[in-house]
Amino acid sequence: MIVLRDVVQQFGGRIVLEIPELQFVPGKRYGLIGENGSGKTTLIRMLAGTSKPTSGRIEGLEGKKVGYLPQSPYAFSFSVLQNVALALNGHGDAKEIAQKALVAVGMESLMDARGDRLSGGEAQRMALARVLVRAYDVLLLDEPTSSTDVRSMDLIETTLKEYVQKTQCTLIFSTHSPAQALRLADEVLYLEKGRVVEQGLAETLFHSPQDERTKAFLRHWSLNS
Amino acid sequence: MFGADPELRQIIGVTLRMSVLSTLISALIGIPWGVAMGANQFKGKAILSRITNTLMGLPPVVAGLIVFLILSRSGPLGKLSLLYSVPAMVIAQVVLISPIIAGMTSNIVSLRAPSINETCAGIGISGWKRLWLTIKECRIPFVTAVLAGFGRSIAEVGAVQMVGGNIQFKTRVMTTAIMMQTNMGRFELAVALGVVLLIISFVINSLVHRVQEQTQRDRTA
Repeated sequence: MIVLRDVVQQFGGRIVLEIPELQFVPGKRYGLIGENGSGKTTLIRMLAGTSKPTSGRIEGLEGKKVGYLPQSPYAFSFSVLQNVALALNGHGDAKEIAQKALVAVGMESLMDARGDRLSGGEAQRMALARVLVRAYDVLLLDEPTSSTDVRSMDLIETTLKEYVQKTQCTLIFSTHSPAQALRLADEVLYLEKGRVVEQGLAETLFHSPQDERTKAFLRHWSLNS
Repeated sequence: MFGADPELRQIIGVTLRMSVLSTLISALIGIPWGVAMGANQFKGKAILSRITNTLMGLPPVVAGLIVFLILSRSGPLGKLSLLYSVPAMVIAQVVLISPIIAGMTSNIVSLRAPSINETCAGIGISGWKRLWLTIKECRIPFVTAVLAGFGRSIAEVGAVQMVGGNIQFKTRVMTTAIMMQTNMGRFELAVALGVVLLIISFVINSLVHRVQEQTQRDRTA
């Protein structure tokens, strides 16, 4: 179980995340939704260990294999295949595993292209394949489909579902699309101004949200989608 | 004209030898210094960054004065008898150019390092491998920093005049020769040397421009 206790993150004196207590159960899929600046990225970066909380502690990640896809992953200037194989760190079958991962995200025709010459959506798919070549206990994805088109999004969601089923990992992802959270997550957390406003089973939260702020957010989203 | 005059040939030779050597040494110092600053967050980074920026704008005569005092007979390295020699000029140039290369390197690395660090952390790559990947990704812009250092080196006059002494057939370089010839009213030779300097400067700038264009294409293609 991953537990956050009294976690506060401040940047320049401004509180960007404040979580008295939060738990993530192993093997479950969690979707983080909320506006820009609600704290989704900060929460994921803290779980990934790339940002340390100003105060409080995060328990349950010691000794765990944690995979993380940042919002703007770096595409190295070598080939797409080498970019993905990089995560396998000299594994004997690195090339074959990387090829399979790229096929899964629909990138088979771009394996020899240079990573830094891909479009935003292609780079995002490549980066996802690079993360998914290894098995993790916890997988953290920060808006994994923010630059992809609808067809690629379907492919990525299918690939993710298969990965989670196969590895039984805990999946925590952020998304701008409540619909995606509904499709991928068991539980959804709505964040606003650095606080978890509401948390619940995906279906329940979408169809009968309790908090007025969650209702307003979902109403606004349904009007604009 | 240049081929026929042994002094001119010698002046150009000393200039190139001094500039190439000082740029190479400065690159060996400045690039690791810049990478260390740009790729990492550490205590004292802000002050180190401020010192580097200050040194980037170090007046050449101040650099010349410092090196002069260190190498003079009564200075800490006086026993080496390096004053008024090409090595003394190289030392002064290294004092001037290393911070410039370090500052530019740091800027180049700090643009890419956050994204590389996040990405590497996500796939379990850390330490030296991550640093190596960062350096590899920045290698082309590094050339720009080194070429800028070379451009500064070849155009330098104050510091090399102070520690080199502008000695004929020994430490006279193009810039100090131009200054001397102008003072003596021999404008033809001064103009000829000026033209050579301009041509070299044009070639360096063209190379920098090409490297920058290449980098831009790589990032936006």
